[in-house]
Amino acid sequence: MKNDLTKIVISGEGGQGIQTIAKVLAESFKDSGFYVSYIPQFGPEQRGAPSISFIQYSTKEIKYPRFYKADYLIVLRERAIPATTTFVNSKTKVIFDSSTIRPNVIKQSENKKEAVPATKLAFDLFGKKNLNLIISGYLTKLFSLNEKAVWKIIKNQLQKKFSEKKDLEDNARNAFIYGYEFTSEKKNFSQPTFKTNKTIIISKNREREAFISPELCKGCGICIEKCPVGALKFGDEIGVYGNPIPEIDIDKCINCGNCFRFCPDCAIKVKKKSK
Amino acid sequence: MEKLSYITGNEAAVLGAIEGDAESFFGYPITPATEILEGWIRKAEENKNLNYLQTEDEIAAGFAVIGALLAGKKAFTATAGIGHVLMQDPISMAENERLPFVGIIAQRGGPSTGTVIYSQQELNLASYGGNGDGLRIVYSASSVSEVYYLSQKVFSIAWKYRFPTFLLTDGYLAKQRVNTKLEKYLKPFPSSKILREMKDKPTHLRNCYGSEIEFANILKRNIADYKSLINKVAESESYKASDSKYLIIAHGSVASAAKDSVDILRNSNVKAGLLRPITIRPLDSRNIRRLALKAEKVFIIESAFEQFARMIIFKVPEIANKTVKIYKPAEGFTPDEIASLVNEKI
Amino acid sequence: MTKTIDKNFSMPKCFNERSKPSLYCPGCGQSIFLKHLGFIIDDLEIQGKTTLGIDIGCSLLAWNFFNFDIVQTHHGRSVPVAVGYKLSNKRRIVMSIMGDGGGYAIGLQSLLHAAFRNNPISVFVLNNTGYSMTGGQMAPTSIPGEITTTSPSGKDPKNSGKAFHGPELIKQISDNSAYIARASVSNPIMLQKMIKKTLENQIKNNSFSFLEVLTPCPTNWKTTASESFNFLSKMEKEFPIGEMTKNEK
Repeated sequence: MKNDLTKIVISGEGGQGIQTIAKVLAESFKDSGFYVSYIPQFGPEQRGAPSISFIQYSTKEIKYPRFYKADYLIVLRERAIPATTTFVNSKTKVIFDSSTIRPNVIKQSENKKEAVPATKLAFDLFGKKNLNLIISGYLTKLFSLNEKAVWKIIKNQLQKKFSEKKDLEDNARNAFIYGYEFTSEKKNFSQPTFKTNKTIIISKNREREAFISPELCKGCGICIEKCPVGALKFGDEIGVYGNPIPEIDIDKCINCGNCFRFCPDCAIKVKKKSK
Repeated sequence: MEKLSYITGNEAAVLGAIEGDAESFFGYPITPATEILEGWIRKAEENKNLNYLQTEDEIAAGFAVIGALLAGKKAFTATAGIGHVLMQDPISMAENERLPFVGIIAQRGGPSTGTVIYSQQELNLASYGGNGDGLRIVYSASSVSEVYYLSQKVFSIAWKYRFPTFLLTDGYLAKQRVNTKLEKYLKPFPSSKILREMKDKPTHLRNCYGSEIEFANILKRNIADYKSLINKVAESESYKASDSKYLIIAHGSVASAAKDSVDILRNSNVKAGLLRPITIRPLDSRNIRRLALKAEKVFIIESAFEQFARMIIFKVPEIANKTVKIYKPAEGFTPDEIASLVNEKI
Repeated sequence: MTKTIDKNFSMPKCFNERSKPSLYCPGCGQSIFLKHLGFIIDDLEIQGKTTLGIDIGCSLLAWNFFNFDIVQTHHGRSVPVAVGYKLSNKRRIVMSIMGDGGGYAIGLQSLLHAAFRNNPISVFVLNNTGYSMTGGQMAPTSIPGEITTTSPSGKDPKNSGKAFHGPELIKQISDNSAYIARASVSNPIMLQKMIKKTLENQIKNNSFSFLEVLTPCPTNWKTTASESFNFLSKMEKEFPIGEMTKNEK
């Protein structure tokens, strides 16, 4: 008899909503009449490690939660690749975020690769937090799930957030539908535009110089909160976890040192220009 | 008569540890191990190179031992019963981080507070306690003079192989005062700083890992190291065993009684012999196998319910059908008693 | 993967740049504390003399945070390890860092006795009113009414006690020469001063030294940067900031 077990790995950065995608997907398989098994990778690290989840669905009951090779690998951040390459064999279909991952780092034959530039789409069209909805929409189509039923599950999951703001729900719904209707890139992949800048960003005027390191910044926003003159706001650059990071208006800055003092990750500093 | 020391097992443990270059002791009073704590403190008052702390409980005692080991000191603790149970928390850390933890365990009756007197029921706990696979070295002493010898040796073995190392005694051995000959262990292995105090090459000791694979690799390495020490560390004593028809396997105090019972049995023309594992972990399987397969009948005798028997039969499963298991948890055996128990079954 | 982090730009010199960005969540108060601890260690020039014991809880994430010896211990056990280490290596400056669970629940016995015996170590307890590593359960320090995964309708002081005040308790049993204080990451300048005294008191007076630090946990509190600091101000009303000097005779 044909083995009808399908094994899926979804991976990305902690805080990207990877586990939300996985939960929604698993529940959708269950509601479509399949047996499912879903387990997140869990370890002591919270945001510091890539987020990985394991889903299986089948017409037969599934008892063992883990596997060595996946039929599908969905990977949304380059940082998650080393932890997931072990699940890939020649049959694995790899779906990656082409706005954050260079296609050549995905070690898989061309006909087994497809991409959704999900991070860029989220930033440009729906806001960064809707990345997981675009992916959920895309996967709904990929696995031939009922779009309305999946949306109902998402709504249940995000009920609390949606109840606070109506436009959040509309936006999320649009992101989901956009993902559902999106035609994935095959062979001609877009180039990653959402890459963490490896160099320190320096802003200066005659009096002051500010240094921001995207490689260190996790985008927590504490410096923005603690800046007494509003010289900091989230900008276009992204930090180590793929979140937007602050940019500084150096002319507004009064060099009070608060951003430096409060930054948990030593990612920002302003100093008087040495003459 | 040559000069003998008149000494208890607990006193022998203190003197042995000092002879084995021990420098630090941390502990909490518990019968029948308390005199090791008291005796060490008296010695430390005379000798400034020895230090100690009576801690708030056994958990703290064990972790303070670890602190001292990290600083390169030959440190140890002594405990028993429920204190030994609490001690599994620090021992488990020592097992994972390959720290040369040394413990002297004066076994008492269990479970729970049990008795404060005598037992061999801490065999499993010393060997396999904790939430790992029991990568530990465990000695069992059968006389006061052996307590002295082995309490020197455990420090060298621990520091040489970097696995937690224990010496099992029991309430009888600990409290019994005898005149006996004390023998020195001649090649003490030196200790060294585990935290090496270098800022360009800091030591970062971990016990918590992020993935199965990462941790599995650590464990694989530790298991390989443990396997490679077996032939170097495992030891046993055999007494009139090479031609024996009836082989008694026992350890610790029970083995002492059994040794005398072998003579009693031989006097009545019963070809009995004794095999006494000195190391419980790892067992000297080669010798056990060699002698046990030859014997017509094997008697495994212990003051616990099948803890020791399980370990032996696991190593030589072929003897299961010809083995008589004799157990009296938390009670001792006299030589006459063993002789008549063997006689009944042959 | 090779890392190209430039340490000189804003980090304490004693940081291990290879471990950065650290494993701590975005906006974690513990990393704000660790940064200031690093600057004070630089300032006192004691990097070469310092040993750190960390606990289980989020402090375990600091296992390679600094370029000096660090040992990861068990939950609540970094204090007895530090005590044993210091006793055996008296010239080292020995620190223990743990959370409010390690300090005030599972490890309280050892913490109190180290204070009681006046063991010359510097202990830092980071209070974020919850158990963060395990996903936001109630801690002794949770404030009455605080919602956690194990107090889903709010901490009920009738069953679970009020908010646990560590420094105030330790003060009762510690030696007059001990240093005991509470700081908050909301005031980094005062935090630095108190960290410095917590280390100096071990060095100069050979005495037990204790600092509780109030830190935000945006992951489990589910707070934005501004909400984190609002909750921190609420905490500061419950847990007053300052030094708890003993009444001198």
